[in-house]
Amino acid sequence: MLRNAQAAYLVRESFAGFRRRKLTTGVTILIMGSALLVLAVLTLVTLNLGGMLEQARVGIDMRVFLAEGLPDDRVAALQPQLVVIPGVAQVTYISPETALHEFRASLGDDAELLELLDQNPLPPSYHLTLRPEARNLDAVQAVAREVGVWPEVEEIVFHQEWIDALETWTFRFQMASLLVGLVVFVAAVFVISNTVKLTMAASARVIQIQKLVGATNAFIRTPYLCEGMIQGLLAGALAMGVLLVAGRLLDGQLGGIVFFTPAQVGGFVVFCMLLGLVGSWAAMRKYLTLRSEI
Amino acid sequence: MSTTSPGAREHDLNAGPLEERGIIAFRHVDLVYKDQAALKDVSFTVANGEFLCLTGPSGAGKSSVLRLIAMDAFPTRGQVIVRGMLATKMSRRRIPRLRREIGFVFQDFRLLEDRNVYENVAFAQLVVGVPSHQIVRNVMRVLTNVGLWDKRHRLPRQLSGGEQQRVAIARAMVNSPKILLADEPTGNLDPVTAQEIIDLLFRINDAGTCVVFSTHDHGIVKTFGQRVIVVQGGRIASDVKRRVPVDRNASLADRMYRPGETATREPVHA
Ligand SMILES: Nc1ncnc2c1ncn2[C@@H]1O[C@H](COP(=O)(O)OP(=O)(O)OP(=O)(O)O)[C@@H](O)[C@H]1O
Ligand SMILES: [Mg+2]
Repeated sequence: MLRNAQAAYLVRESFAGFRRRKLTTGVTILIMGSALLVLAVLTLVTLNLGGMLEQARVGIDMRVFLAEGLPDDRVAALQPQLVVIPGVAQVTYISPETALHEFRASLGDDAELLELLDQNPLPPSYHLTLRPEARNLDAVQAVAREVGVWPEVEEIVFHQEWIDALETWTFRFQMASLLVGLVVFVAAVFVISNTVKLTMAASARVIQIQKLVGATNAFIRTPYLCEGMIQGLLAGALAMGVLLVAGRLLDGQLGGIVFFTPAQVGGFVVFCMLLGLVGSWAAMRKYLTLRSEI
Repeated sequence: MSTTSPGAREHDLNAGPLEERGIIAFRHVDLVYKDQAALKDVSFTVANGEFLCLTGPSGAGKSSVLRLIAMDAFPTRGQVIVRGMLATKMSRRRIPRLRREIGFVFQDFRLLEDRNVYENVAFAQLVVGVPSHQIVRNVMRVLTNVGLWDKRHRLPRQLSGGEQQRVAIARAMVNSPKILLADEPTGNLDPVTAQEIIDLLFRINDAGTCVVFSTHDHGIVKTFGQRVIVVQGGRIASDVKRRVPVDRNASLADRMYRPGETATREPVHA
């Protein structure tokens, strides 16, 4: 239960650091804001790159080549069997004629060579597109294993190296983001924690007397936690502000990038407040005992 | 064990339920700071409303006794019981509650330099959540009692040492504690001012608050020690209660300058 006078005291004390150490607090917000800006940019790049990688994965597909000379009805019977395989999104039949047509188109000027053939050498095939959750190497190999044992199937083609590379790079990028994010996180907590420590050191006598006359730890802590949170809030708002302005200015050059939604901007700022909270908590660990060192 | 001291026998510490053992009870208390032993086998009991004087040489352990009572330190061995609460079984959450029942005064006043007299006293009420209208009333009461209501707008540095100590006493008393602890409250004061502070402690004691204070000053001990515990090398060297009540109107200055006694006295100015 907070009485009015107590609440007013807490509010006043929460801003004490801002009033008494304007420069230190300003520099803290600036440093933390820069760190958070790095974090925000990194998050944005992750979001965009993630979107691009997802886009690239749409290209993960399979081609199932059938044995030559199969009767049409056996070829047609495979379609419903392929559709029900888990992970398969769409099944398209490509007849030898269509395949030859495509082949000719891909040869361009050299297409005349095909005139030497007296019959179409290309087998019939099915083109499989995959569901989003199956656009990875494991799922593709699973489908290939299942279909590969069918007697009608001659060969299955998919771009293993390409999928491999895609997965490796996605993983590496996520790890790098995580690592940089972690460093920035620790730096931000450290910077805030240092400023709050200064405030607490300056109020050592006040804290001592509070403990002596029986203030609870929760009460003693509150203004310092609030100070950290307010600093986090301002730093987060600063980072977002800079990012928004930069986004405006560069809008022309960077067409089509995904920006944070208003909800994400809000979430980021709340996250920064929590960072501030963690920072001031870390600063107070040694003050959390009830000893007043009298 | 302080078996030689009459006081220890008077209050048999191992008998009776908690509440009959007085407002403060030490039973075979040892206190060791990190590697420094400060108290050894200290036992005594303080009755409700008692006026107790702790004395002894520097480093004897007087402040440590007071610290244990305020539960700002905890016994390494033995038991400290304050208002029925056992220090070793005390949960952290209850310590603030206990502190509200204990006032503490120091040799160096420990006022907040950037707050005026009124704010210094009100602070003790504010941070424990007393409603505003009661704060005004209580601060007025205690500041009037110590004779400083008229100087409530002054900053500590605009007051004399004695006045600062009275502000500190007002702050200690504003939460209406059951116990007032004073660690060498007159240590920084001249004899006349020291006398005023002792008078004030007597008045507080008359109103029913148990007062425990420490002092180096033999004059004070001899003139006003109703019950005197001498601490020496972390042990209780003696615990003596006067049969005839001390004359609370006695003048410290009279005794201070009586010939023959000055030789055994330590200087009043610390
Ligand atoms: N925080 C501490 N850490 C380590 N040792 C301490 C601490 N406080 C006190 N001591 C030691 O404990 C012993 C008792 O100290 P205490 O302060 O209780 O003595 P005192 O009787 O109050 O002395 P004085 O008259 O000088 O104030 C001393 O030897 C002192 O050095
Ligand atoms: Mg001392």
